[in-house]
Amino acid sequence: MHLFSKLRRKSGGENLRTSNYSYVTARVRAMKSKLLPADTYSKLLNMGIDEITRTIEELEYKQDIDVLARQYSGADLIEHALNRNLAVTFTKVLNMAEGEPNYLLSKYLKRYDVWSLKTILRGKHYNASPDKIEENIISAGKYSFDFLSDLANKDSYTDVISALENTEYYSILKQYDGTNLSDIENELEKEYYKDLFISVSKLKSKNSRIFAEFVGAEIDIKNLRTLFRLKMSGIEPEEIRKLMIEGGHRVKMKDIESLLPLSFDEFLSAVDKYSYWYNFSDVVSSEMESLIDLETQLLKQNVKFASSISHVYPLSIVPIMDYILNKKIEVDNLRIIIRGKSAGLDKEVIRKQLVI
Amino acid sequence: MAAEQFAMIDPAGYKAIGAGIAVGLAGIATGIAEKDIGSAAVGAMAENESLFGKGLILTVIPETIVIFGLVVALIVGA
Repeated sequence: MHLFSKLRRKSGGENLRTSNYSYVTARVRAMKSKLLPADTYSKLLNMGIDEITRTIEELEYKQDIDVLARQYSGADLIEHALNRNLAVTFTKVLNMAEGEPNYLLSKYLKRYDVWSLKTILRGKHYNASPDKIEENIISAGKYSFDFLSDLANKDSYTDVISALENTEYYSILKQYDGTNLSDIENELEKEYYKDLFISVSKLKSKNSRIFAEFVGAEIDIKNLRTLFRLKMSGIEPEEIRKLMIEGGHRVKMKDIESLLPLSFDEFLSAVDKYSYWYNFSDVVSSEMESLIDLETQLLKQNVKFASSISHVYPLSIVPIMDYILNKKIEVDNLRIIIRGKSAGLDKEVIRKQLVI
Repeated sequence: MAAEQFAMIDPAGYKAIGAGIAVGLAGIATGIAEKDIGSAAVGAMAENESLFGKGLILTVIPETIVIFGLVVALIVGA
């Protein structure tokens, strides 16, 4: 099958009108049934690191752990195995899909290229060792792990950027002068979403519309999270505006414009009007000290949204996105548990961070 | 002239054509219906082999359509 799709790609290029949604969605649903059930996390929280490692080894991550066990150990091993598994799984889903879903997914998964580039640049900025940088690379996008680890092993950020000369990111990366890292990161992120919306709008199919809605919901959550974080620490509206991403599904740019000049308390009462509000009204108050509850709530909201529309459109891109989202959350949860445990955090503190 | 030619064709021929259309169209319809179910079944099976039985049964359910076509063809042909 792989050979077939390769041959077809060679002969006639990618045909975006073809699709194999029935195959991919059924397979992805079967894969979703293998994700960890919610009660496993409570069990994992009661275990020590060695037990957790052993439990994870018996799950879907066995192969990744076997491959990496020679190089790493302990929490680092799990971290690498989780990243590797995420990359392998997403690449697998991408290879299953043909035509339209393949196109949409490949555009979506480019976020991991952006993520890895950001990680490498940040690592270089703070003089992190190549090993440390590699630990955080997720090669689920277009770039392979070898390519990214080559980048991580370069001496300085200028070498990294010049190695990326022929890529679409170069126009943004070349503006990096060693001081404006956060601007470059924001630009990369914004460029990613802009590119995503442009490539989706080219298709004009039902699926691309639902896909855009899905991405919009994700942007909503990103924007709300940024707004809450920055409003809470009293950052200037101008600074916040720079970080906002266009294309939200329910919270549009003009809503954000009206929220920007408000103080934190006014901001809270203004957000009250949105349909999103009732989902997290109980975790938000003007006295709250940490945004962890809110952020996990927002993520849960996103998962709920994805699974509800995946039932409305069973043979579409949504069940695939739903799986990708859930897999990402599973990996994040496991990472939180393993890192939390190795840092000796209290069980309840870790539990609060989990998205279950 | 045309009416003569028309009358010259054996009515059994029309029956045969009708029966052919009944089976043929029903067969195409079954194929279209089974296409998605079959690929979904294979997809699910690739991840979880125990779904083989269920997948097989669900895949052949549209086979009823072609049986209807066959029945119609037999009735017409009889």
